Amino acid sequence: MLKKLSLLVLSAVMITSCSKEEKPLVVTPDDYNNAVDKVTEVIIHDIFSPPVASRIYAYSNMAAYEVLVQNNPDYKSLAGQINELGETPKPDADAAVNYDVAALVAQMEMAKSLIFSEDRITEMRDSLYMQWKEQNPTELEASKAYGLKVADHIKAWMDGDMYKQTRTMPKFSVNPDNPSRWQPTPPAYMDGIEPHWMKIRTLVIDSADQFKPIPPPAFSLEEGSEFHKQLMEVYDVRNAMTEEGDESEKMEIAKFWDCNPYVSTHKGHLMFATKKITPGGHWIGIVKIATKKANADLMETVYVYTKTSVALFDGFISCWDEKYRSNLIRPETLINQYIDDAWAPVLQTPPFPEYSSGHSVVSGAAAEVLTQIYGDNFQFDDDTETAYGLPVRSFDSFRNASSEAALSRLYGGIHYRAAIEEGLKQGRQLGQFVSQNLQMKTNTAQASN
Amino acid sequence: MNKFFSLLILGLSIVSCKDEPELFLNPSPEKTGVTFKNTLEATDDMNILDYLYFYNGGGLAIGDINNDGLPDIYFSGNQVKNQLYLNKGNLKFEDITEKAGVAGNSDWKTGAVMGDVNGDGFLDIYVCAVVGLNGLDGYNELFINNGDGTFTERAAAYGLDLDTYSSSAAFLDYDLDGDLDIYILNHAVHTQSSFGKADLRYERNQQTGDRLMRNDGGTFTDVSEEAGIYGGINGYGLGIAVADFNLDGYPDLYIGNDFHEDDYYYINNGDGTFTEDLKNHFGHTSRFSMGSDVADLNHDGWPDLISLDMLPQDEKVLKASEGDDNIQTQRLRTDRYGYHYQFTRNMLFINRDGKDYQETALLSGVAATDWSWSALFADFNQDMQQDLFISNGIPKRPNDLDYIKFVSNEQIQSKINNTGLIDTKALDLMPSGVTHNYVYEGSADLQFKDQSGKWIANDTIVSGATAYADLDNDGDLDLVTNNINASPTFYINKTDEKANYLKLKLKTQSSNTYAIGAKVYAYANGIKQFKELYTVRGFQASSEPLIHFGLGDAKVVDSVRIIWPDKTSQVLKDISANQSLVVNQENTQAFDYNSLKPKQQKLFSKVTNSLGLDFTHIEDAYSDFDREKLIPYQIGDRGPAVAVGDLDGDGNDDVLFGGSKYIPSQVFIQQDSAFAKTEFPAIKKDSINEEVTAIIADFNQDRKNDLMTGTAGGDFFNRAKPLIDGLYLNDGAAFSSAAMPELFDNTSVLATYDYDGDGDLDVFAGTQAITGSFGKTPVSYLLENEIGSFRVAQEFKDLGMVTAAVWSDFNRDGKLDLVIVGEWMAPTFLENKNGRLTKVDLGTENLNGLWQSVIPFDIDGDGDEDYLVGNWGENSKFKASADAPMVMFYNDFDNNGQTETIITTAKEGKYYPLMGLDALASQVVSFRKKYQNYRDFAGQTIEQILSKEQLETSTKLEVQTLETGYLRNDGGKFEFVALGRDFQVAPVLSFCKFDFDNDGKEEVLAAGNYFGVQPFHGRLDSFNGALIKDENTVIPGDQIGLDFARKSIRDLSILSLNGQKYLLATPNNATSQLYKLD
Repeated sequence: MLKKLSLLVLSAVMITSCSKEEKPLVVTPDDYNNAVDKVTEVIIHDIFSPPVASRIYAYSNMAAYEVLVQNNPDYKSLAGQINELGETPKPDADAAVNYDVAALVAQMEMAKSLIFSEDRITEMRDSLYMQWKEQNPTELEASKAYGLKVADHIKAWMDGDMYKQTRTMPKFSVNPDNPSRWQPTPPAYMDGIEPHWMKIRTLVIDSADQFKPIPPPAFSLEEGSEFHKQLMEVYDVRNAMTEEGDESEKMEIAKFWDCNPYVSTHKGHLMFATKKITPGGHWIGIVKIATKKANADLMETVYVYTKTSVALFDGFISCWDEKYRSNLIRPETLINQYIDDAWAPVLQTPPFPEYSSGHSVVSGAAAEVLTQIYGDNFQFDDDTETAYGLPVRSFDSFRNASSEAALSRLYGGIHYRAAIEEGLKQGRQLGQFVSQNLQMKTNTAQASN
Repeated sequence: MNKFFSLLILGLSIVSCKDEPELFLNPSPEKTGVTFKNTLEATDDMNILDYLYFYNGGGLAIGDINNDGLPDIYFSGNQVKNQLYLNKGNLKFEDITEKAGVAGNSDWKTGAVMGDVNGDGFLDIYVCAVVGLNGLDGYNELFINNGDGTFTERAAAYGLDLDTYSSSAAFLDYDLDGDLDIYILNHAVHTQSSFGKADLRYERNQQTGDRLMRNDGGTFTDVSEEAGIYGGINGYGLGIAVADFNLDGYPDLYIGNDFHEDDYYYINNGDGTFTEDLKNHFGHTSRFSMGSDVADLNHDGWPDLISLDMLPQDEKVLKASEGDDNIQTQRLRTDRYGYHYQFTRNMLFINRDGKDYQETALLSGVAATDWSWSALFADFNQDMQQDLFISNGIPKRPNDLDYIKFVSNEQIQSKINNTGLIDTKALDLMPSGVTHNYVYEGSADLQFKDQSGKWIANDTIVSGATAYADLDNDGDLDLVTNNINASPTFYINKTDEKANYLKLKLKTQSSNTYAIGAKVYAYANGIKQFKELYTVRGFQASSEPLIHFGLGDAKVVDSVRIIWPDKTSQVLKDISANQSLVVNQENTQAFDYNSLKPKQQKLFSKVTNSLGLDFTHIEDAYSDFDREKLIPYQIGDRGPAVAVGDLDGDGNDDVLFGGSKYIPSQVFIQQDSAFAKTEFPAIKKDSINEEVTAIIADFNQDRKNDLMTGTAGGDFFNRAKPLIDGLYLNDGAAFSSAAMPELFDNTSVLATYDYDGDGDLDVFAGTQAITGSFGKTPVSYLLENEIGSFRVAQEFKDLGMVTAAVWSDFNRDGKLDLVIVGEWMAPTFLENKNGRLTKVDLGTENLNGLWQSVIPFDIDGDGDEDYLVGNWGENSKFKASADAPMVMFYNDFDNNGQTETIITTAKEGKYYPLMGLDALASQVVSFRKKYQNYRDFAGQTIEQILSKEQLETSTKLEVQTLETGYLRNDGGKFEFVALGRDFQVAPVLSFCKFDFDNDGKEEVLAAGNYFGVQPFHGRLDSFNGALIKDENTVIPGDQIGLDFARKSIRDLSILSLNGQKYLLATPNNATSQLYKLD
């Protein structure tokens, strides 16, 4: 009742303000950054796993992008380039659409439908609407209508991506009789997450296994075997790090790139979660840093977000395809079982099979896309993790950052070297493929670039 | 939430203003003079984050320290000083702590117990302490009673000054040498980040390992290791119960361990050592085991046991709290790490002659009492039945799901990661776990009636250690609880003259002056009552050393037999009720414990070598819950098939056992004096099939027996070939596969009969469920035999989920009709008329059950066929009645082409899903959008959870009864009669009719148990089989030589070898058993 009343009061205020001259609404790149940050915040709150988070980023950015390209001849629509994505609807001919506003509307609407805690998105949306309404209600209405139209278009396409179907597909079945097969890990012993993610429709790559890595070293606990060597490396690296202490560079690298959305801590009956951004979320953060540093305008900003999130999305499918093909056991399980039952990795082992390393694949993929856009010598200070109590790290290039992200998994004690090296290869190839095959700029624009 | 609580509190205060509780009054501290308060102060160094048992509370011991006939009370405080109160009579108490010198010096005190350690006739006090953790100083203190109202702390001199993580201690004379030894219960603090192997318990740890301290006359010797007591880093010891569980005269122990460590069941070997043997006596235990207590509840003379846990009763709390493990984690814990089956709820263990424990907490109604600490059995209303008091509550509920998933992150993480300290703000946000204490009225048939709010006022205080005593010497038992941040609660019993009692205080000449360990039997009004004198009960407490019997209206106890700890006994006759009797040990006779051994009437003797019938069924690893996460139970584990008949034409019984998926069936051919496993290539070729039922008979009329197999498995789907039933025709030289109709079904039963009288055997093929579409009604068939080739003669599209069928002439027209049972359906009668089977209504229409088995049997001896029908039983989380049926909603709730089921049961007239938000959302993601936190979901009914459209489009399947019983034939109509409690403890899966006792009349043997359920149900493992002679005569299987405990028996068959009859009992996923029938 109170709400209604205040709305009435507000609309009364607006009616009176109508007499003011309507100015065109302005959406800055930072407005868009804020909207993406909001998505990240909700992803963390709602505890979406890394693959599912990549879907939220990709679809929400794509919706914004599809709105903007309608009004920008330098950029090409994703229609026909993204699997099964049809022509984006046009606005009504005489509508006073502000495409920048419509893009943000579409992004927020997609995000809202993809996450659980809708209130957190609508709160931000409504406050923007209120501002805009005060400034230019006509433009807002037209832009809102168009933004929602494009969001509906993306939603209709989204419905065919197998997400709904994969929710009811069988769980990963644990079979402890097979010594190489993945098993749930301490402390929460969660089920393997998203065992059917390879069935999700890809965006740019042809199929989930297009960038299938070579198989991991043959499982063997024989001393001298490649697998055993790599297992012992994880063990030895951890032990050496313990000696070097908490301040060592390796420890910093491991923690910086943890990107585990849900670290479960148990203290007796007391359990609590430490929640952070996902690996995809980290690279979305790097997009913000890079576009800001490049002084990108809104169109370019959304373009970089979109292209990067498309690569992340396909990267997760490619990686998950391999994970549930090789179903490889985590080093923690083997070390506890055969070497040292008190051993624990620096990072909490995430709940899915080991090979290949997800962070390596998606970091490789994202870095290639960013390199293609901004070049190989793009220095940046990565402050993405400061909100989680971690320091800033500086990198000379996206590729260097991705290499470090990959290696962090060894220091973290959650991956063997093969998963890191092959995962990085897998991701880079995939990223290059996305870069080359997803043509988002028109030829003239590219030439002038 | 706040509103809810204040409403609740308002409600409570209104109630307490209006009605005085019926049984117990709570005098205030001002009245009693007991102002002790266990005030807890969370500090940066000491709080729930630093010490997991921060909220376990203090101890409490009641006993008459000055021998003036009035029991006195000692409280220990965690951080505050301990206090001793002298009972001045009239429920007035005086704090004599200072003068007595018993305030204690340890930093963190826990359990407090009284016992006459030095045998001088005065009760001494032993106070446990947590020492060494976070700088906590001190040691376990022993206050020796000087006999003049003062005490001297002498723990060091006695060798009892342990500086470990003690939670409690118990007095017992384990070596029967006439003095009190002590078992000291220590607890682990090891984080449970990783389970670690169960083997950790074999490695003794100084701080956390339990200790057995032998009294060597003035000093105590640590004999833990030589006595076989575990002392590992994973022993979270919180519960201790002492009793002579196997009635051999030597005290045994039940140790309740919190978290994943198993409870320990120590059997006293009588030679100074114990054997821990939990897994051989208990099918499962409580998981977060807390306090416990022991009493003979069913008057059979064997001590029964309760072990507490923390399962909430209130939906609002239940669905907002972390529940049981998922099935994979449970498997990891049991199969890989070596732990036993443990589930989050109270467990009530009924002692079956000292051998096995039948667990009935769900059936008995005492499974869920929230965060529970102490359990005390006593006859509070003096009706000759043991009642039950449970104290509970925790100031902060750390297993709140919203806290774990949403609140803690923002409030706790940076703080704890960076400093290791706790932010009080973060703690403030943790919801309260205050729940009222529970009291239950007991009965001889093990049903407990919740009398909380009636017998006692519902409180809002956190209560832990509890002890009973007759504080006012009026004959009935009063209770005291030690509370957190509040003065102790007194529960003064006002039964008074309304019922009679007998109180006994026992005296011996030995150092064990109070006769700890004595057994007392009282016979009055034709009822036997049995008690053992152990004062340490419940949790961190000891009660008044006395034996109390409620006597109802009996004025006289016909006889009282006391068996003293030294295995002598004395009998008192014609004892008047309503007196407190001091009995000195005199005029005793040696007591022969063998006389307590159950007299077995061994109808069945197990054949050790099984005469070559060496078969172990292996269930394949497939779990239906991996595919359909919300279905109520598995469908893929219904085997094995067992068929007995002559396969090789020599006239002797051979046996076929079906295999599960990819595991070949096995055939055993009878030879001269034994069976030999023999390979049949045609059958082996089909090892992919999972055979769950099979029949040996001549199907093609060539006078040679053929084999038909019904296949299922729940894994194969659509038109998968292994779902087609098997037919193997015998040409005298070999078996070869023959075609069966292409019916792709999970077959449950094949029942043969020449229904059309054309001289060959036709078959009813019942179907249980459709793989991937549980809840959809499958089709069953009548197959007409055309010289060994079968065609579908009749389809039954709406029978239901069939599990068993039997041909039986219920309409007495000389032709056999068909009786069918199944799940989510009623027992169904199909009349055989004019070559068609037609459903007839014979009075069973509203008897939907989870029926598993059926057999014709004239149970009432009136000459017509009745039908025994095996159901699910009432000892699971499923609840159903005619008034409040269990309802399964079947629908494609999220419109993704895959159906789901949601099982709901009624609580006070409202329907709630059995599963929590995470489980439901794992299948239907939209529930997570509808409920963004657990608090909002908790307490939601199914009507609120589902949309109107979802509700309307759902198919609703019902169960109206879960009881096993029989359909009594009443002139061709049938009335359901439930069998006794023994049949309701687990699903009854198999019947077998035979004259087992050679009395010329047939009896029916029943067996069952089932484990294919989610961990929140537990394991339905408590039915040990039973022989049904007639409607009034049933003999439990464990009394006649059957070894069915903890096994899921799927088939009972009779076979003969050389003229001798045998019973073949075949379990799922275990080894079959052969019994010789005498």
